[in-house]
Amino acid sequence: MAITYEAVKAVSAQLYDWSLRKVPDDARSALRDLQGSERNETARKTLTFMLASADAAERNGRFVCSDAGVPVYLMRIGTAARLEGPIKQAFVDGFAELVARIEPPLLDHVTHPLTLERGHSGRNMPLVTYELIDNADYVEIICSPKALGSGRWAALEIFSFPTLEVIERYVLEVVMKAGSQPCPPVVIGVGIGGSFDYAAKMSKQATLRPVGQAHPEAMVAAMEQRLLAAVNKTGFGPMGTGGDATSMAVHVDYSAGHGFTPVAVCFNCWINRRTSARIYNDGRVERID
Amino acid sequence: MPLDAAQARALRVGDTVRISGDIVVSAGLPTYQRIADHLRDGHALPINLRDGVLFHLGSYSRETQGGDLEVLYINPTTSTRFNALMPGIIRGLGLHAVGGKGGLDAECVKAMQDAGCVYLSFPGGGSALLSEALRGVREVAWPELLTHYRLVKLRVEGLGPATVAIDAHGNSIYAELQAGSQQRMAQILDDLQRDREQQGRIDQR
Repeated sequence: MAITYEAVKAVSAQLYDWSLRKVPDDARSALRDLQGSERNETARKTLTFMLASADAAERNGRFVCSDAGVPVYLMRIGTAARLEGPIKQAFVDGFAELVARIEPPLLDHVTHPLTLERGHSGRNMPLVTYELIDNADYVEIICSPKALGSGRWAALEIFSFPTLEVIERYVLEVVMKAGSQPCPPVVIGVGIGGSFDYAAKMSKQATLRPVGQAHPEAMVAAMEQRLLAAVNKTGFGPMGTGGDATSMAVHVDYSAGHGFTPVAVCFNCWINRRTSARIYNDGRVERID
Repeated sequence: MPLDAAQARALRVGDTVRISGDIVVSAGLPTYQRIADHLRDGHALPINLRDGVLFHLGSYSRETQGGDLEVLYINPTTSTRFNALMPGIIRGLGLHAVGGKGGLDAECVKAMQDAGCVYLSFPGGGSALLSEALRGVREVAWPELLTHYRLVKLRVEGLGPATVAIDAHGNSIYAELQAGSQQRMAQILDDLQRDREQQGRIDQR
């Protein structure tokens, strides 16, 4: 047995479909917590509406947001996994088949960045990142569709031997620039160090972590806590119309690097749409989230 | 809907509203450019928007087997994308309500004051509930555009809740929040410094 082209095609397409119709349980739970501590009445109403919208979408099988974004995947490959067939093509074909059958249909969101033409396919689409997991006999596929609403506010800057103060100030500056726009309360991913590409990847992957799960190192976990408190003093609030709940979690990760230190910051809107599943060598599929 | 200037001016920042009647929507930058071009050239628009409402809402419309159009879902899109075009459109058409999510800039706020126009913030990610207000498609213009770019006149009942985030008197929640957060920034950074010191993790590098 092996992990086949057919399996990856079917699972990747299914994950995308699921991710459009369900607000993950951890995000819902975080919204309920924020509702409990929110002091602004309009903001509380907005949070109530968000939770009701999540329920309605799931109950009726509707999209939570009309902007389905573009398909973005992380595929983590166990080094003991056996792959069979054109796995990269499986993502392309799975998305094409989904576009043809999904109900209600998807809007044309895949955009050529130079001509601005839009459709349902394009160069390097879906966007897939591959990683290795030592010794695992499965592949894990995580789908996290991304759209302009929160996607456009990500930013990266490279510093030279920055202090923590410089790093944290920069995170706040990016948050201030995003302001009311990224459909708060957001999850904020911060990637520090490594190299230009590593920092961006770490910040993105930090947003995939279960909402509010602290970094295993105490120093980083403390930074996450104080950044979350700081962001929630800015006042932008749910949907950016004022309130305490601007962010439900700040997730930080870092890599060792040289003295030049990239700091990357990105946002997930309140829906935090992401789904994941494992496919094992014996063909078994396990949905994780 | 319809809404006149006096009714729009009676609304205040922070009010929550629901909308019933006919609204016109489009989520396409090329669409707003085309509207601006029509106004500049003195051409009539295919849907009458004079004294009307125009929202930055995306919609999926398609033809039914009977030849009618149905709208499957709607949702707000980021309004600031249209900042450069909206002052001319708001003044040129005398709009009394615009909206979407994320707000509009200071030039738009001035245009809204002149026209007696409010900005309504719709909850993003509210597609499932917002779409329940749909009662039908009245008109579709520019069918050659992508479905969410078309200019679509919809009949809605109880669409919302939407928050009046910019009123017709020059008040903008977005401008206030941005200014307020800038003011608090020094204090927020001081708090961060205090937290770092308390945790005994002052940078040693």
